[in-house]
This record gives sequence, C-alpha cells and structure tokens, in this order.
Amino acid sequence: MSALAKAAYFWRSAASGLRHAPFVHFIAVTTIAIALFSAGLAQAMGRMVDALIGSLGGEVQVTVYLSPELDEEGAEVLRERMVAASGGRATLVTPRAALARLEKELGDLGEALAHLPENPLPPSLELEVPPERRTPGALKALAQELRAMPGVTGVDYGEEAVERLSAISKALRYGGWVAFAVVLLATVVIVSATLQLAIYARRGEIEIQKLVGATDRFVKAPFLIEGFLQGLLGAGVALLGLLTFERLLGPGLASLFSFLVGSGGMVPLLEPDIALELLAAGCALGLGGSFIAVGRFLRV
Amino acid sequence: MIQMFHVYKAYPGDPPVLSDINLHVQKGEFVFLTGPSGAGKTTLMKLIFCGEKATKGQILVGGRNIARIRESAVPYLRRNIGVVFQDFKLLPHRTVEDNVAFALDVLGVPRTAARERVQRMLKLVGLQHKAGSLPLKLSGGEQQRVVIARALVNDPTILLADEPTGNLDPALTLEIMDLLMDVNARGTTVMVATHDTSLITRYQKRTLRLERGFIVSDEDGVKAARRMAAG
Repeated sequence: MSALAKAAYFWRSAASGLRHAPFVHFIAVTTIAIALFSAGLAQAMGRMVDALIGSLGGEVQVTVYLSPELDEEGAEVLRERMVAASGGRATLVTPRAALARLEKELGDLGEALAHLPENPLPPSLELEVPPERRTPGALKALAQELRAMPGVTGVDYGEEAVERLSAISKALRYGGWVAFAVVLLATVVIVSATLQLAIYARRGEIEIQKLVGATDRFVKAPFLIEGFLQGLLGAGVALLGLLTFERLLGPGLASLFSFLVGSGGMVPLLEPDIALELLAAGCALGLGGSFIAVGRFLRV
Repeated sequence: MIQMFHVYKAYPGDPPVLSDINLHVQKGEFVFLTGPSGAGKTTLMKLIFCGEKATKGQILVGGRNIARIRESAVPYLRRNIGVVFQDFKLLPHRTVEDNVAFALDVLGVPRTAARERVQRMLKLVGLQHKAGSLPLKLSGGEQQRVVIARALVNDPTILLADEPTGNLDPALTLEIMDLLMDVNARGTTVMVATHDTSLITRYQKRTLRLERGFIVSDEDGVKAARRMAAG
C-alpha cells in the first residue's frame, strides 16, 4: 500500500511539475519532438535509399564468359558448378544466341553482323544471384570464385556501378547516424537544462522534503518521471507531425520520385514498429536528460 | 533521548561555532536553548537532525550514534524528528491540508489515511477550519501552527523549534508556546531555541545558555527564570 501511495505521489508530483512550469517543459517537449521528427524523416529516407538499391540490385546479373573451346557438355558442367556456388539460377547463352541477341539490339545495323567471317562472341553463362548475395562484397567474392574455374575467361557484374551505389548508401547511412547523434546529444543537453530549471524552481519543496525525511530516490523520482513524460509527449508530437507530413506532402513526393523508385516504391513514413521505436527513443531521451539533471543538480 | 559528548563544530578558516558541547536531554523533557545571535543555537539543532555534521565528538539521538550515520540513513532519522523554523518554510501554492500532508507523502501513507491524520493534527493546533486555505492567507501565528502540525503529523519523538516565535507578536508568541507545551505534555521531547528571555521566565523550563559556541549554563526552570527575572 505504501509503495502504491508513493508511486501515486510521484506521478501526481510530476504532473504538477509539468503544469506549474509549462514554458520550460514546452521547450523540452518541442526539442524532443523536432529531434524525433527529423529522425523519423531521416529513417524514411534511409529506407527509401534501401528500396532503391534493392530495386537496382534486382537487375544485378553476373555474366560469365567461357572459353570458345569449351563444348556444350563442358559448359553444362560449369553451369551446374556455378549454380551450386551462387545459389541462384544460370542460363547458358551459346555464341549463336548471343549473336542473335546483339543483332536484335542493333536493329537496322544488325545486318552488318551477317558479313562477319565467323562469330566473335564467346559462349557465356548468365547468373541471376539471389538477393542475399547482391551486396558488393558478396558479388566480388563470387566473381573471384567464378574466375578461378577452368574454362572461364572473364566475369562481369557491373562492379563499378554496384560499388558506387553502395558507397552512396553507406555515406548516407553514416552521415545520418552522425547527424542523429549530434541532434540526440543536443536534445539531451536541452532537456537536462530545462529540468535543472524545474528543479531550481522547486528547491523550496525539495528542502522541505529533505527536512521531513524524504530519501534521495523519493526526491528524484518525480523529476525522472517528468523527463519521461516530456519524452513521451515529444514523441507523440513528432508522430503527429510525421502523420501530418505524410498526409499533406506524401502524394506530391511520391509523384516527384516515382522516376527513381517506381510508382509503388515510396515507403510509408510511419509504420507501427517505427512509431514504437520513436516513442521508446522519446522516453529514453527524456529519461536520459532528467538523469543528467538530477545527477548534476540534485545532490540531496 | 539526546546526548552530546565533547561535540565540536567548525567551518574551515573560521573559529569553532560549537566547542566541547556536552548535554543530556531526557525523553519527554522540554528544554530552552538560549543565547545571543551567533552563539551556535541553530547549529546545535542542525547537528541533532543531521543538517550539519559534527567536526568532533559523539551525538546520540534515541540511542543511535549519528556522528557516524551513513548519508542514506539520515532520512529515516529525520522521520523521528519534527523541525520548526522561524521562517515557516511552507509551500505557498499548496493548501494548509496539503502542506501538513506533505510529511506523510514522504512516508507513503495512503491519501485517505493521511487525510484523517492531517485533520486530527489540524484540530490539535486549532486550524481545522483553515484546511483549504493557502498559507499566505493566514496570519503569522496560524502559519507557524501549520508548521507545527506538519512537524508532528508523523508522531516524531523529538520536536526541534528554532526561534518559532521570532516573527510573531507577543499574543501569537504565547499561543505558539502554549501549543508547544501541549505537545510536550503528550510525551514529545521538545527543544526550543530562543533569545526571548521572557519565555524562559514565563514557562520555567530547563534552560541551556550558549555563548560563543560554549554551553555557559545549564539550569532548571525555576533557577533560570529567577536569574532572568533578576536580569
């Protein structure tokens, strides 16, 4: 009963703290909301880049050029080995089929190919790599393994394009994390400063609490709850902001970027797991700020 | 109830505030602590409720040596000691009832039980009809009575009052002193710091006189009153 009464007191005291210093808490809630709103947007952007890489990655095809001396039986053996090595699918393209494809691609100019004394194109295997092996590292390792096979004269998988795209994605991700860390730190500092003001405003109350026998934890608990509530409120405002942003600007952005990600490629700004993550981040921010504030300022 | 053995208190760079204090206050006793401003009355009281730590010496409160008390144990000691100050220390935005209940919140007493105890205490100090008022709407004497109610609401064994009538006119002073006498009559050990010698003459209780940090006299009520009357 006593613990329940104390818990009730902590929450009442925290709520009263929010009511009695609305401006100070407004600043903290707004700061948390802006930080989480930005984080939510950045995360949606990251997911959009991922989707873009995924969609481009779907077109990643590894072409393995085979020695012209290799007969069909030898090519089939190689095909089976490559399927086993890559875990994907492999299609044998004979020199004749390759020439026919080239002729078709060249259109009117394709007729010129008929005058060649012999077919210059080597036989090849077109490998469709499963999604989990489409990363630059995995593709590079696969290419090396394939190159080492007897009868293989070359491997091409658009190495440069894949690596550039991956570098851009990595830069965006790391840049995002660094920016997020800076915003996070600034937010914790601001939340902590606002709570220090709140503690200062209630120093008379704290003095009396100490006189009548309050423990350190008893004095600190309402301020920690205040920080938690600030975080929760800030996260709530950020979620509302993201929802509003999606409603108002989502359709416009989707049409703007449809050339990149396709008509159905826009990722939603808010998914339940992300909303939960943002709520948890808000509470952690508020609690973190209040921990610092009570630790530094409330030496009871 | 309160024992001090060769207690000293000094702040770095200053002469000692208290020197070689030895005293023994019995359970249920009423003691005046008197002396000029700066004699060390407030510091001596602070030592009892661990508002300050003694530089040297031993202090026993309720049989417990508080000179060596852990920081974390201080709040539990304070729950047995009610403290009343000259400047009241009331929360201006809370009602009289909430101010008194504040001491019970710390103990985790449920609201309904707390309300009953607060009402009982307000009745004792004659303020039951002011339960819903804000402290600033009350007279000085009434505010001090609220403070006494808050100090007594969790049934402490000791009540320390530092110049409790310092801000009050003579009529209110007697009102508060009578209340403290009532509290003492109910078994609470009471120590009152005052430089108002008329109170010592009137109430005739054991009186400790402090001067420049030393106890210069420790007299029973009659003797102290006689000396005060003689000037």
